[in-house]
Amino acid sequence: MTAPLQTPLPSSIADLLGLDPNSTVGLFVAALLGAGLIATVMLSLTAVLGIWGKRKITAAFTDRIAVNRHGPYGLLIIPADAVRLLSKELIVPAKVDRPAWDLAPLIIASSALLGFAVIPMGNGLHIADPEIGLAFVFATASIASLGLLMAGYASNNKFSFLGGLRAVAQNLAYEIPLVVTGASVVLFTGSLQMSEIVAAQQGTLVGPIPQWFAFVNPFAFVLFMIANLAEVGRNPFDIPEAPTEIVAGYQTEYSSVYFVLIYLGEFIHIFLGGAIIATIFLGGPAGPVLPGIVWFMIKMVSVYLFTQWARSALPRVRVDQLIQIGWKGMLVLSFANLVLTAIIVGVISA
Amino acid sequence: MSLEEPDLPTAAESEVGVTDDGLDYDALADLLGDRLLDREEHVNAEGFVIRPDQVQSVLFDLRDEAGFDHCSCVTAQEYDDRYESIYHLKKYDEPTHELSVVVPSPKDDPHNESAEPVYRTADWHEREAYDLVGIEYDDHPDLRRILLPETWQGHPLSGDDDQTEPQIVTLREHANPLADDHRADDAETMFVNIGPHHPATHGVLHLETVLDGEQVAHVEPDIGYLHRCEEQMCQQGTYRHQIMPYPDRWDYISAGILNEWAYARAAEDMADIEVPEYAQVIRTMSAELCRIAAHMLAAATFALDVNGDFTATFMYAIRDRERVQNILEDLTGQRLMFNYLRLGGVAWDLPEPREDFFEQTRDFLDDLPGNIQEYHNLLTSNEIFQMRTVDTGVLPPEEAKSYGATGPVARGSGIDYDLRRDDPYGYYDELDWDVVTEDGCDNYARVLVRLREVEQSARIIEQCVDLLEDWPEDERTIQSNVPRTLRPDPDAEIYRAVEGAKGELGIYMRSDGTDKPARFKIRSPCFSNLQTLPVMSEGEYIPDMIASLGSLDIVLGEVDR
Repeated sequence: MTAPLQTPLPSSIADLLGLDPNSTVGLFVAALLGAGLIATVMLSLTAVLGIWGKRKITAAFTDRIAVNRHGPYGLLIIPADAVRLLSKELIVPAKVDRPAWDLAPLIIASSALLGFAVIPMGNGLHIADPEIGLAFVFATASIASLGLLMAGYASNNKFSFLGGLRAVAQNLAYEIPLVVTGASVVLFTGSLQMSEIVAAQQGTLVGPIPQWFAFVNPFAFVLFMIANLAEVGRNPFDIPEAPTEIVAGYQTEYSSVYFVLIYLGEFIHIFLGGAIIATIFLGGPAGPVLPGIVWFMIKMVSVYLFTQWARSALPRVRVDQLIQIGWKGMLVLSFANLVLTAIIVGVISA
Repeated sequence: MSLEEPDLPTAAESEVGVTDDGLDYDALADLLGDRLLDREEHVNAEGFVIRPDQVQSVLFDLRDEAGFDHCSCVTAQEYDDRYESIYHLKKYDEPTHELSVVVPSPKDDPHNESAEPVYRTADWHEREAYDLVGIEYDDHPDLRRILLPETWQGHPLSGDDDQTEPQIVTLREHANPLADDHRADDAETMFVNIGPHHPATHGVLHLETVLDGEQVAHVEPDIGYLHRCEEQMCQQGTYRHQIMPYPDRWDYISAGILNEWAYARAAEDMADIEVPEYAQVIRTMSAELCRIAAHMLAAATFALDVNGDFTATFMYAIRDRERVQNILEDLTGQRLMFNYLRLGGVAWDLPEPREDFFEQTRDFLDDLPGNIQEYHNLLTSNEIFQMRTVDTGVLPPEEAKSYGATGPVARGSGIDYDLRRDDPYGYYDELDWDVVTEDGCDNYARVLVRLREVEQSARIIEQCVDLLEDWPEDERTIQSNVPRTLRPDPDAEIYRAVEGAKGELGIYMRSDGTDKPARFKIRSPCFSNLQTLPVMSEGEYIPDMIASLGSLDIVLGEVDR
């Protein structure tokens, strides 16, 4: 069985508003609205999970209660925190390198959001479905490294500087295994198009187990999860921030709105990592009974929960160990995985 | 060691002055020959008076010939007619073998040969003596102020200190301390100030660090941000009651009763006060409760340093430490500043109903093995944790001894030194427990020592609880008779140490016949332990330095006093 390729979100919006989906203007307006919708969903999710959920989750891991006085379940901490963070003074340290210093938070936040443009979230929530979808999402996600380097370098602070350099070294070392492991999925599907990748995971493998690539190639899945932890900078790979070593790394000098942007960017980046994993390894929006978008969110948030779990439980590796694991371990394993997958795919198709 | 001939006499036999029943000071006096000017009688040991220009030759002989490998403390003080530095020497193998080397120097121009070439630990101790008392140490590698700011004027513990004069001058009037830094234009290294406000410095510690990439090329701890004149305050309090609250404020990480015991032991030995056995058992129990609380916080903050600030281990350890705190609160009425010991005993008996107290303590002890296992699961058996801590921050035993390291830091370097066993006090020698040592010499070994010491402390507490439960009701004397005003003999001098949470916590006191000590000197274990940080971390990565600092488990309140 193959899933019917759904109409992209901009077209459905154009239909809804009576715009002509074939005219440039109509499509542009509809696409803008669609992008706004997706961005709003992601930002709201970040607000809930980043401000409230993170507190609750970490508290659950560490035997605490966390926020419970601000409204039901402490949920009103979200507006309270938003007001608090936005009303703080934006301190611009002397001799920061502007405008690089101002652009960095924007780049960090927007690059992650950009990736969601090609993610199929189910129920027609899919802005664009280009043929190079997977390449696009990796490309946008890695723009964040530029933002981290800019933040670290422009802050005129030695801790920021160290953090920025660590971030770049880490992203270099782990993005290659990430992309190469992603490529092993492409070998199965024969396409970089996200809808094709999701479609290729329909059906079942053995018995009731779905034909998700996480089950088809668990080795690639584990590799990808580990590389993803490093990519989003969470334990045991949170060394670009490493609060007990280099204060807060590249974000040391950021306050107020800029801090919020960086924080948002970090969380959206984690969600984007979750979205990629959900799409290429966990069947995207596929799942029984519940609507596709719900399944998609469940899968994405599960990955987020996993990062929080790692953060609560695992020690942080040292920077040289991180680089070693990346270049000597992950890279070799990911290429081995690619070659093996290629052989297996070749044998099957032959 | 392996090069030694097997039939040579053991170290203890070859040391001058060692006899079967203690130390033969006459033999030591013969060793020094005519370098010995005079012999004084201190309460804890004899004091050998020597010339200020023969410090090194005397100390070298005492270290190499007589086996005094531990320079526990350097006390400096001013008399009406002279300045005096006292080097309190001990042996790591046998801390009851003590000797005080007394070095007088002239009033008008106090100069002294430095002991730093003999004992590395003298570096900081002599800097402190120079800073507070004003004695100059010739041949010292780096005689600068240590506790007070560079711009301080005068020496506050010397007699000619005029407090009406400005004590600190502005940087402009003083040589600018920022002028000489490591930021040369062509240098390949980077200078970073880690602290005094930094998440990993465990307080207001300032590490002047030179980085070569991510590696530490040079690190120098800059202390004194929390200096509160504790010694001076103790000199202004009466022995009987006014000094006891201060020790709580040295190592304030719940080690209060251990600190109080240091003062209690010194003052009781000085004034010849007996402590009832029942009170000794209570002291032993409460002190070990404090040790558990202190070690748990040490493990917890070490997890913060290595795992990051969202680690569950920290909260788990704090959760378990909370139960110790509750027991101590029930016992002493306080959670932090206990002020529970009194000269000659303790402040009050166990809380009524006693059964509830015993039950609460037993419940805690019953759950403890499970909790410790949890820390082992989360920390010591975690492979990433081992990757991070094994063979990092290495402190070889010889270096540790030279720097006067004690406590878990020394025991993590395989030095079998624990005053509770080697120089027994309280009720420790009646109880069944072990001294924990690890041979790893690294960050991992130090953490392991602390976790295992918690188990030993639990054993001690369990036996104390058993004893207290069966203690006959009419023999529960919590305090002996102590005069309302205590005036020890004039010119009585004593140096006494106990095993605090961080190591050997010693007190030197000199009496002038009044009800207040004429000199009160604190030998802080953290002060000596912190000196080893450069040895551990130079050449290693920043994260390892942070981990080493965490594994030293310093409390700045005790370092700076």
